[in-house]
Amino acid sequence: MTDHPLLDIRDFSLVFDTFDGTYHAIDGVNLSLQPGEALGLVGETGCGKSVLTRAAFGLVPSPPARITGGSVQLQGRELLGLSDRALRQVRGREVAMIFQDPMTYLNPVFRVGTQLVDAIRAQSGGQTKRDEAKAIALDMLEKVQLPNPNRQFAAYPHELSGGMRQRVLIAMALAAKPKLLIADEPTTALDVTIQAQILDLMAELVADMGLTMIMISHDLGVVAQVCSRIAVMYAGKIVEDAPVARIFDAPAHPYTKGLLAALPHPFRRQDRLESIPGTLPDLLHPPAGCLFAARCPHAAPICAKPVPMRRIDDSHRVACTLYDPAREKDRADA
Amino acid sequence: MLEPITTRPPDGPAMLSIRDLDVHFPLANGQLVRAVEQLSLTLRAGETVGLVGESGSGKTTVGKTALRLVKPTAGHIEIGGMDVIDVSARDLRKLRQKAQIIFQDPHSSLNPRMTIRRAVSEGLILNTDLRGRTLRDRVSETLTSLGLPAQFHDRYPHELSGGQKQRVCIARALVLDPDLLVLDEPTSALDVSVQAQILGILKDLRDTRPSLTQLFISHNLAVIRFLCERVAVMYLGRIVEEGPVEQVFDAPAHPYTRALLSAVPVPEAVKRPDRMRLSGDIPSPTNVPKGCAFHTRCPIAEKGLCDTTPPPALTPGPGRMALCHFAGRTTEQT
Ligand SMILES: Nc1ncnc2c1ncn2[C@@H]1O[C@H](COP(=O)(O)OP(=O)(O)OP(=O)(O)O)[C@@H](O)[C@H]1O
Ligand SMILES: Nc1ncnc2c1ncn2[C@@H]1O[C@H](COP(=O)(O)OP(=O)(O)O)[C@@H](O)[C@H]1O
Ligand code: SF4
Ligand code: SF4
Ligand SMILES: [Mg+2]
Ligand SMILES: [Mg+2]
Repeated sequence: MTDHPLLDIRDFSLVFDTFDGTYHAIDGVNLSLQPGEALGLVGETGCGKSVLTRAAFGLVPSPPARITGGSVQLQGRELLGLSDRALRQVRGREVAMIFQDPMTYLNPVFRVGTQLVDAIRAQSGGQTKRDEAKAIALDMLEKVQLPNPNRQFAAYPHELSGGMRQRVLIAMALAAKPKLLIADEPTTALDVTIQAQILDLMAELVADMGLTMIMISHDLGVVAQVCSRIAVMYAGKIVEDAPVARIFDAPAHPYTKGLLAALPHPFRRQDRLESIPGTLPDLLHPPAGCLFAARCPHAAPICAKPVPMRRIDDSHRVACTLYDPAREKDRADA
Repeated sequence: MLEPITTRPPDGPAMLSIRDLDVHFPLANGQLVRAVEQLSLTLRAGETVGLVGESGSGKTTVGKTALRLVKPTAGHIEIGGMDVIDVSARDLRKLRQKAQIIFQDPHSSLNPRMTIRRAVSEGLILNTDLRGRTLRDRVSETLTSLGLPAQFHDRYPHELSGGQKQRVCIARALVLDPDLLVLDEPTSALDVSVQAQILGILKDLRDTRPSLTQLFISHNLAVIRFLCERVAVMYLGRIVEEGPVEQVFDAPAHPYTRALLSAVPVPEAVKRPDRMRLSGDIPSPTNVPKGCAFHTRCPIAEKGLCDTTPPPALTPGPGRMALCHFAGRTTEQT
């Protein structure tokens, strides 16, 4: 890819200083996103999806967090080391975020419209007049396909259903025309028929508005509906990064394969599901080599050394010695 | 190789029989939550039946009422031929042993100050005359058979992972040798790789304890497809469709089932063409629509019929039921 990435995260590492010691939550993550790309970030509970995407934009308080290395560039501009004030501006104007529980981000005592108008004005540093902001707000409510925008504008958050609140939050996030949207489990709290509506909407926004997005989910099926690329995280590292079709049809990393084999399929008969044996590594004392080694059927001596991400081809990266030519040599020597 | 599909003879003895069940909850503001309405469901001995529906559809209430943890407003319930509603204190004790329930959150189901062994022994001490060596052996055997070998037996819940805790909950139920097991979203709080283990354990029970009857409650259709022989689909307190899992999933007869199935995020790269989206939200169970409860969202609702006349229970095929005026027609469409 020759385009300039919109977001470029390099060798990003973060630890939490805890009572029990140093917890290595994120270790050497590389991730870049081209404009207009929708990336799904998947992995099981606690693997670091939220910490990574929040810390990159200054949203993880330090202490206890400590960024121990790397760089985060948004359109070529380094974000690590920016002042809190500058980071707040980045978050208001260039990067927008939505989360699992919209109610946490809506104030129950103000009308939806008031909150939208205030947010839009704040995004422009107070430049936008109230009636302009209102016009933008109504336009956005229409874009997120909220039924009857004028009525919802005057409603209080508790009068809306979970799906409608998530639409309001998406409207609020997109009003500033951000360069990047981070959606952290945006449909996890919703019912399946409502989830389908919101996923359709997000897929449309990506296609029609050219939105660049990172969508976080523990559900591979959910990101497959919206994203073109998937990055799989395990224990604070990205272990595989490939186009959606590759992840499902030709997964390379043993962990990705394990996740897929564990998944029940609604339209297929399956006699057995494969579970992944063993448990997560202790990130207070992470091993030097592959963090998946203790659970991997292909673990070999070479896996005890650090395993970098390597390219299988232009669009597919994987962190596994199975794709390392040195692995064969290692075995021959042994 | 796939095993042949096992379906019990439809005329086997009933283990759980629910007839015309109503469960209503009065609210402080004078409204009435109609959590369950005119619901009938029969589970044959040894059957695994899935109860699926969106949040608030009444699944948990059905499960709890069946075990007499909630008092029904009207209707009949029998477990193994015993009337559960007009039950003496002595019979209730017997019921508590013969019918067991497992909840979503294994953590809050376990006493943090009790070892695993104690947690599993308790029910036996309370309900049986087993003591000493025999009791100890029975507990150890049960835990070990569920993949928790001796080194775990003296641990406390906080020393176990989520999946291990859920296995303890299953052991605690199975050690009493129940006839009926109600499982309320037992894997919803677990990661997929751990969910695969628990689903494997539950599926094995069909072979190792062929007379055990399981009512498996879940909002996850893929999980139901994997585990269950029959499925009942709930909407606003009613069962709207029921039948053998393969048939219902392959050719749903009720429009709600079709919508639910087409909303499932499928873990694969190709998007399914047969998409059907519901508009709007689920009505409140305090204000259930007249006629067919689904008519406000149904894409094929007929004015003058569906909004006035409750649909009859039609039989779109052997062993099947669909609560829709046009149950036959919708089968042809899929
Ligand atoms: N004690 C109660 N008082 C008032 N309403 C109740 C009570 N228990 C349940 N309900 C209501 O009954 C309806 C059905 O509840 P239930 O928990 O059985 O649904 P569910 O399908 O299992 O939901 P979920 O998937 O969210 O757990 C809901 O509207 C719920 O709010
Ligand atoms: N404030 C904190 N102090 C210590 N550990 C933390 C803190 N916040 C998150 N962690 C740990 O960092 C890891 C990654 O968390 P998170 O990114 O929230 O996971 P998820 O992928 O579920 O979103 C987890 O193991 C979590 O326990
Ligand atoms: S690097 Fe080695 S241990 Fe890690 S996933 Fe690959 S083969 Fe398995
Ligand atoms: S009875 Fe009418 S409204 Fe109800 S599901 Fe059938 S077609 Fe739809
Ligand atoms: Mg998270
Ligand atoms: Mg429930």
